[in-house]
Amino acid sequence: MTPKKSSPFPFRTMGRTLGGVSLSRRGLLSIAGLAGVSAAAAACGRGGPGDRNSNTIEVWTLQEQEQLEPLENAIARFNDSYDGGDGEDVTVEAVPVNQDNYSDQLQVAMGTNNRPDIFFNWGGGSIRRYVEQDLLVDLTPYLEEDTAWRDSWLPSVLNAGQINGRYYGIPLRGMQPVLLFYNQTMFQEMGQQPPATYDDLVNLVNFFTGQGIQPVALAGLDAWTELMWLEYLVDRIGGAEVFQAIADGEEGAWGHPAILQALQSIRELVDAGAFGTNFSSVAWTSGGADTLFASGEAAMHLMGTWEYTNQLNDNPDFARNDLAYANFPQVSGGAGDPAAVVGNPTNYFSVTRSSNNVEAAVEFLRQQMSSDEYVGELIEAGDVPAVADLTERLQSAPNAEFAIAVYEMVQQAPTFTLSWDQALEPDVAELMLDCLQEVFNGDRTPEEFVEELSNA
Amino acid sequence: MAAATAEGADRASRPNGLWILPAALMFGLFAGLPLLVVVGLSFTSWDGIGSIEFIGLDNWSRAIRDEQIYDSLWISVLLTVLTWVIQTPLSLLLGVWAAGRQRNRAVLSAIFFLPLLLSTAAIALVWGVLLDPNFGLAAKVGPYIGFPDGNMIGSTNSALLCIVVVLSWQFIPFHTLLYQAATRQIPQMLYDAAVIDGANRVQQFFRITLPQLRNTIVTSSVLMIVGSLTYFETVLIITRGGPGDATNVLPYYMYQRAFQSYEMGYASTLAAFLVLLGTALSLIIVRFSGYSKMRSTLEGM
Amino acid sequence: MAVTDERTHLRGSGITVGVPVPPSPRRGRRFRSGRRERPNWIAGVASIVWLIFVIVPIYVIVRNSVQSRDAYIEGGPLSPPNELTLEKFEQVLSGGFWTYLINTVIVTVATVALTVGLALPAAYAIVRSRSRLVGSMFRVFLLGLAIPAQACIIPIYLIIIEMNLYDSLTAIVLPTVAFGLPLAVLVLTTVLRDVPRELYESMTLDGAGAARLLWNLAIPMSRAGLVTISIYSALGAWNSFLFPLILTQSEDLRVLTVGLYDFRTQYGIDVPALMAAVLLSALPIFVAYLFARRWLIAGMAGLGGK
Repeated sequence: MTPKKSSPFPFRTMGRTLGGVSLSRRGLLSIAGLAGVSAAAAACGRGGPGDRNSNTIEVWTLQEQEQLEPLENAIARFNDSYDGGDGEDVTVEAVPVNQDNYSDQLQVAMGTNNRPDIFFNWGGGSIRRYVEQDLLVDLTPYLEEDTAWRDSWLPSVLNAGQINGRYYGIPLRGMQPVLLFYNQTMFQEMGQQPPATYDDLVNLVNFFTGQGIQPVALAGLDAWTELMWLEYLVDRIGGAEVFQAIADGEEGAWGHPAILQALQSIRELVDAGAFGTNFSSVAWTSGGADTLFASGEAAMHLMGTWEYTNQLNDNPDFARNDLAYANFPQVSGGAGDPAAVVGNPTNYFSVTRSSNNVEAAVEFLRQQMSSDEYVGELIEAGDVPAVADLTERLQSAPNAEFAIAVYEMVQQAPTFTLSWDQALEPDVAELMLDCLQEVFNGDRTPEEFVEELSNA
Repeated sequence: MAAATAEGADRASRPNGLWILPAALMFGLFAGLPLLVVVGLSFTSWDGIGSIEFIGLDNWSRAIRDEQIYDSLWISVLLTVLTWVIQTPLSLLLGVWAAGRQRNRAVLSAIFFLPLLLSTAAIALVWGVLLDPNFGLAAKVGPYIGFPDGNMIGSTNSALLCIVVVLSWQFIPFHTLLYQAATRQIPQMLYDAAVIDGANRVQQFFRITLPQLRNTIVTSSVLMIVGSLTYFETVLIITRGGPGDATNVLPYYMYQRAFQSYEMGYASTLAAFLVLLGTALSLIIVRFSGYSKMRSTLEGM
Repeated sequence: MAVTDERTHLRGSGITVGVPVPPSPRRGRRFRSGRRERPNWIAGVASIVWLIFVIVPIYVIVRNSVQSRDAYIEGGPLSPPNELTLEKFEQVLSGGFWTYLINTVIVTVATVALTVGLALPAAYAIVRSRSRLVGSMFRVFLLGLAIPAQACIIPIYLIIIEMNLYDSLTAIVLPTVAFGLPLAVLVLTTVLRDVPRELYESMTLDGAGAARLLWNLAIPMSRAGLVTISIYSALGAWNSFLFPLILTQSEDLRVLTVGLYDFRTQYGIDVPALMAAVLLSALPIFVAYLFARRWLIAGMAGLGGK
């Protein structure tokens, strides 16, 4: 239901051979004297590639109803029509996985012989390790052979899924920039405008606090919701280069003054009561922030575009009548382009090399992911697919205005910064999230944050 | 002759060593071998999908410098101590009380034991909902217990207390049960004698009940302390180690390293440390309680 | 006779295993029956406080599973019942619940069967065998008591993959049994030690072999201990979370605990649906509790002793 950038995925340097002996897993266990027993035990258990129905293509996806339905339909269409040629009938099957720990589960499965055939990912950092281990199918030849397929995507989004200049992922759904959502009914009734600048935002915070309304909903038990504030503030204050330098691992990149200023702004907002007093107890998973926002107890919510889809599903009246959105306000004197966006460019499907049906899996992606039906259903579900030349089609969307706005926003954005926790190495990302949460909670000063991350 | 036959019959009637073999194999393969492997892995670098590389003591020397380990260790110890300090007296008193045969006590104890029916995961999920500061119980009850805005799970100090409360709700019924059963075994004549000596209820409790429950206190404490090394699901489901690292107990930190940072080698070092800690804890308890050998973990309870 | 003693001390291990003799816990003297007591007011009040603490979350589960999401948002978790709908149960039951339940039952039954089947002959051998090997193996088992199972998840994951058991219910059962064995062996050993030697001897003179002694003497005499270990291993399997989370992936192999965890993300925002799922997950044990309460309680308490 709630798309979430679950646990971060790594950029990870592989195969660090620290002058030691390198063992295969099998080798290690043979030493432990297991190999013989394991063969015997394997005979009495289910599982393993031999047992698995080799004509099934497993598609791992997030467990969220809105996205699952279009996918299930696409799968049904494919299963009906596809004929593998040699009389071999291949069946595609969706495997919805708990998004709370999707990355953990994927990692666990990728370490086994039961890898999914096709799996959902965030592109870039989230699959780099698998690429380096040569586990994924290089889709570049397929896309080069079928240029019409390649050109059906927005180039910037398709390219965002590249690793070392090669394609490993096909966009599977909408673009997900982070927007500042607000309750337009409430704003109108109280004669307020959405904030164009950071100073406006501070004024709004003071205004709504005075009215006894929580200015901004925030699910602070999950630090990645707080990260969106840091991402945008740093972008507006210092420009997209600041984080780019961090992602590139440049020396002293965390020491950029924009980081400190952004953190101080966060403290200013927290101290002014922007997020209420109990935000740090609100969990994203249990919908605490969404409900607060939808029930009119909070005026704004900084969230990915999925907020719209979720609200449409859970609180349809609110989504249709009250929900509005704006670009994140600019910061006066800031170096950043106010049109720049942060968030997730999109999500991708990648194919594993160990699949028994690589060709059929790729064919599934080719036939279905940019098909009119699938794209149409995504649009209907409130999504904005990363398909080229979509403006016209979006006119017919139930939420045409929102969809076109997002589409154009991404088209016009000079930069689209990938969520930091997806872009950084997982241990750094975790440290960053922990420290940021402590800054929000007042347990750590902005200066300490910078110091801690600079030393990491 | 007769004696020889008896001895032969006796030998035939005794099981040979093979009888223990199936259990030993199962235990060796899925508990013993993992122990060896975890120690082995602690000297390697492995990300879960690549090859396993021997890196000597690197993980261990890194662990010594890893501040998070000390923090997590401290949080684990704190959690263990709080759990024990809160659960032991409460379940002891409740158990002694519930041992009475009065009808109302029987009815109430039946209710007290209800949390035993729920799995750890279910309990954590329910409490996660209850602790929502705007729509949960925290919003209703918070103002009366010093949390006017219901901000319990999100603040560094109270988050750990929340976990302690959840664990108490979950485990006190079980320990109450142990104490109840044990109290019922105390011979009535001890109390009769005390009454003749003019001992009042409090004196009876301290002079008879408490000493008689000594073994149960040890058993229950060991279960609590060893069990506290495994409080993982509760943390994963309710706080994910947060806010910051306020509830990042050692087992959760291990899980994070293994399945979120993909440092299976380093996580194995933490795991090996956990195993050492568990064994040491039990040994200490056993020594201090005057028992000869150590025992007892209750997985999943 | 020793076997009717309700508690025995486990020699050499320090553990005290109370051997329950269900289902007649009222057997024997009544507790403090000979004396009229003053009512204990302080304890009464304290128990009421505790009652509230215990019952409020349970009330929240039950009450909210039968209302709509809107009613929950409006009324909060404690609102008195004002509407009654079973739609949440339907929603949960149509969402894979039965699969999860069946998987959990399979895992639980297999775990109990294996634990009892392995621990009983082992304990019997430990008590009766003169083999030195058996004695040293017993000590190894005792060492295993202190290992927190979760700490071994990484090597278990590795071993399960190598055995080609990843993503199977077998993968959950095997380590669960292995880590439950030490306690089970310990409990049964204690119980079997209390079977009087004379009984073995007299049956031996009748020409009974080791297997017949186990079947005709040891098992009937250790029924209470078997109940205790069955209940413990059943609860362990029923509650296990980390093993199924890591060792399985398919939706059709999901067990209840992991299924519940998934329900949260699925229904996260829909508290009543989550509560309905929690309630349904507890129902099988609740039914067992209703029908075999004394056995359950006595079995659990079997580990306490005096």
